[in-house]
Amino acid sequence: MADAIALPQNPPLSLSTKFVRIIPGIALLAVIGIAGKLLEKNINLFAKSHHWTIPNIEYVLWAILIGLSISNVFGLAEVFQPGVATYEFWLKAGIVLLGARFLLDDVWKLGGVSLLLVAIEITGSLAFMTLLGRLFGLRPKLTTLLAVGSAVCGVSAIIATKGAIDADDEDSSYAIAAILALGAIALFTFPLVGHYLHLSDHAYGVWAGLAVDNTAEAAAAGALYSDAAAKLAVLTKTCRNALIGFIVLAYAIYWAGRGQAHAVTHKAAFLWQKFPKFVLGFLVISLLATVGFFTKDQNAALANLSRWAFLLTFAGVGLRANFREMRKQGLRPFVVGFVGEIAIALFTLVLVIAAGKLFGF
Amino acid sequence: MSTTNPEAAVRPLPKLSLDTWAVLIALLAGALIRFGLIPRVPW
Repeated sequence: MADAIALPQNPPLSLSTKFVRIIPGIALLAVIGIAGKLLEKNINLFAKSHHWTIPNIEYVLWAILIGLSISNVFGLAEVFQPGVATYEFWLKAGIVLLGARFLLDDVWKLGGVSLLLVAIEITGSLAFMTLLGRLFGLRPKLTTLLAVGSAVCGVSAIIATKGAIDADDEDSSYAIAAILALGAIALFTFPLVGHYLHLSDHAYGVWAGLAVDNTAEAAAAGALYSDAAAKLAVLTKTCRNALIGFIVLAYAIYWAGRGQAHAVTHKAAFLWQKFPKFVLGFLVISLLATVGFFTKDQNAALANLSRWAFLLTFAGVGLRANFREMRKQGLRPFVVGFVGEIAIALFTLVLVIAAGKLFGF
Repeated sequence: MSTTNPEAAVRPLPKLSLDTWAVLIALLAGALIRFGLIPRVPW
């Protein structure tokens, strides 16, 4: 997870200036998201009035496609960039608010199964990506970054690991570009595979949460399938995110032991620093919803607020994917990531289908 | 006579992470909804 909204630091800006600078980008996210919602509604109304039967294209896909078109055809003007970078903030606020849609019993039950699957997925993915990086002769720290990015938490994990293992900027930008490109591909392929295999909302949601790397893309891939799948995708992805500190710590100790990174002196403080705090926020809201702190209408209001936050996130997902920039990073890390992601997607698909038979979803 | 540590006096406030901001704002929104300041949120 990025540690702060990406605003230029030099020269230092006052809080009010920072606030003013993010407004145009946030407005753009809102306009794209609302345009997506209007397109979904009006295309359906138009088809209905003409007695046409067409598949429903969710606002999520429209928002992503509009964002992708702007970013790749026109480019994102500088005035919008600080505000568009806030999409990570909306994602995390949306996840916290989503806690209102889970009773704590569900979190323990679904989260327990998800955690078990996540542990298997992380172990298998780290081992496979490390092996693949060696086979393709990638630099060891680039292999570590790609392995962590694919196994745990996408770009956030890469940024966290980069600092912990003293990886250079070139390696991390390679890994981030590969993970972002693969996330964009997953967005469009996962729903197609899910529908082709007639996966249940539950199975598909867990699969998207296990196999799609970035939290924003995992949530979007879930929402493209169904609302229920989006809930499960976010819960499963949150379980993956919760483990980020342990994985980064293990790699930091490994590289420090080889004399190629600084030593970790306070392990507990390190874990707390890397732990995604929005997981705790999600649990607090879920606990409050469980004990009846909110009425039914208030729960519905919180869930809708979460949807609005995700709407801004999905617009940001499209705006962030600039394929020209990704292409500049070279092919080899992308090929390693691509082969690895396909293997991880297949491995987690088998895992989810087996778990579905075992746990009845 | 009171003594003050000049280093402590100028120490800046800890910078909150994006995560923490997201949690605080979401909890604030939850409180506003709970206590009726935001009566409903349409979708």
